[in-house]
Amino acid sequence: MEQFMLIFHLGGTGETNHGSPEAMQAHMGKWMAWVEKLQKSGQYVSGEPLLPGGKLVAGPNGSIVTDGPYTEGKEVVGGFFIIKARDINEAIQITKDYPDFKFGGTVQVRQVMKIEQMAV
Amino acid sequence: MENPNTAKLVDHLFRHEAGKMVSVLTKLLGFKNLDVADDIMQDTLLKAMTVWSYGNLPDNPAGWLYQVAKNKAIDFLRREQLSARVHSEYLHAEVTPEVIVANVFLETEIEDSVLRMMFACCHPAIPVESQIALALKTIGGMTSGEIAHAFLTSEETIAKRLYRAKEKIRTEKIQLDVPVSGAVLPRLESVLHVLYLLFNEGYNSSHPDTLIRHDLCAEAMRLCHLLTRHTLTNKPSTNALMALMCFQASRLDSRVGPSGNMITLKYQDRSTWNRQLIEKGFHYLDGAAEANAFSVYHLEAGIASVHAGAHSFENTDWKAIYHLYEILYSINPTPVVALNKAIASSYAVNAVSALAELERIKGLEKNHLYYASLAEVCLGLGRKTDAKKYLESALELTDSKTEKQFLKEKIESCES
Repeated sequence: MEQFMLIFHLGGTGETNHGSPEAMQAHMGKWMAWVEKLQKSGQYVSGEPLLPGGKLVAGPNGSIVTDGPYTEGKEVVGGFFIIKARDINEAIQITKDYPDFKFGGTVQVRQVMKIEQMAV
Repeated sequence: MENPNTAKLVDHLFRHEAGKMVSVLTKLLGFKNLDVADDIMQDTLLKAMTVWSYGNLPDNPAGWLYQVAKNKAIDFLRREQLSARVHSEYLHAEVTPEVIVANVFLETEIEDSVLRMMFACCHPAIPVESQIALALKTIGGMTSGEIAHAFLTSEETIAKRLYRAKEKIRTEKIQLDVPVSGAVLPRLESVLHVLYLLFNEGYNSSHPDTLIRHDLCAEAMRLCHLLTRHTLTNKPSTNALMALMCFQASRLDSRVGPSGNMITLKYQDRSTWNRQLIEKGFHYLDGAAEANAFSVYHLEAGIASVHAGAHSFENTDWKAIYHLYEILYSINPTPVVALNKAIASSYAVNAVSALAELERIKGLEKNHLYYASLAEVCLGLGRKTDAKKYLESALELTDSKTEKQFLKEKIESCES
């Protein structure tokens, strides 16, 4: 099994306003179902939401601090999952359940590099 | 995707808590800050949605929501320099925002806030239609679309009514209070109407996927029960409405078949009706009986009690039901009452006079139940072609999947 990081970019304006309490709850239910499905199949490793905002640190000594990394709403990272999958195709298959596609959200699928262990 | 257990844990929590949260926050911040209270509630639910979506469900989800709402309220009070803006009731120079907020969020205070909110929304300075729209949205957590369905009107109209209500609150400086005894009755009428509509939306939902929304029915009954326990609001009409809801609720589970199909009164298995609720219904109906006490809820509860007491559809006292509908129509001549009266007449009198009554009704040209009823009467008269035409009109007008399935089966039976 390989590990993959799924990076969620918020779609549209970067806002996730779903209107009524019932609609928000229904949307949350889809996320919960997704997480639970991955937990049951043993493919869920971890996941965290990220607060908006954040800083970008750069420069030779890390002395240049700016707002970022993204200022465009639609590119902002809303959170990430670490999941297990056989290969990139299975990882892509898993993203099919991502509930935010309909709001223009996107998922970046990246394989975690395995560091070769030296045989003892 | 299947419905998971974790989501079940918090099923309907958002809707349940939204109304309470807005009520308690409004009590704290004053009615003029209703929009701020609404924003804090939205932000709180949004935060819960973000955090919980990633599988981090807290042990006490409701408590978590209130903690977040409290913190946001404290932030707001700090920003607004509380002494200048906060509702005077909570103005004590020596208490910190934390203490004030903690006191307002006590369980008993939350219930009291909901009660106050109901009466404040029904303030006489606000036009009646706006009062009810505001209360349904704020306390019932209903969307503009659902409210539009309840009023047989457009979402745009509802949005306008909500806007007007908020304008009035600002310009008239309306406070969040339970009116003194003399002023209770006129406002209670609006409050009861709100609960009636809330229950109806649950009983016959406008939502495409669910015919019945138990949470709305339960919320309406909970709030009405609250009114029966308050001396100022425990009036005959309150008890009559409570009786009506008990009778209707006793049949909720019998209205849906094993495959989610709709079962009409005629075909329901009466042994599945909830006897306990029927008994409660009769109990409240007794409480509603008082000299000179009379309301539309008395009549509707009376009609529901005839159904509840009948052993079968055929043995139902249709003449009594028709008579009650006639009185109801004389004091509340709405097209929907006319529709029900016509349906009752098809059993109490005959199909020919029922059809004549139905054809006289104006204002239900976009109501699927109207066409379904026309079809039913036509079927009784053996007019299959007309019935089919009406069923097709009904099919076009409903969004409910359950009802669509029901109507399609009926159409097929007309073709055979």
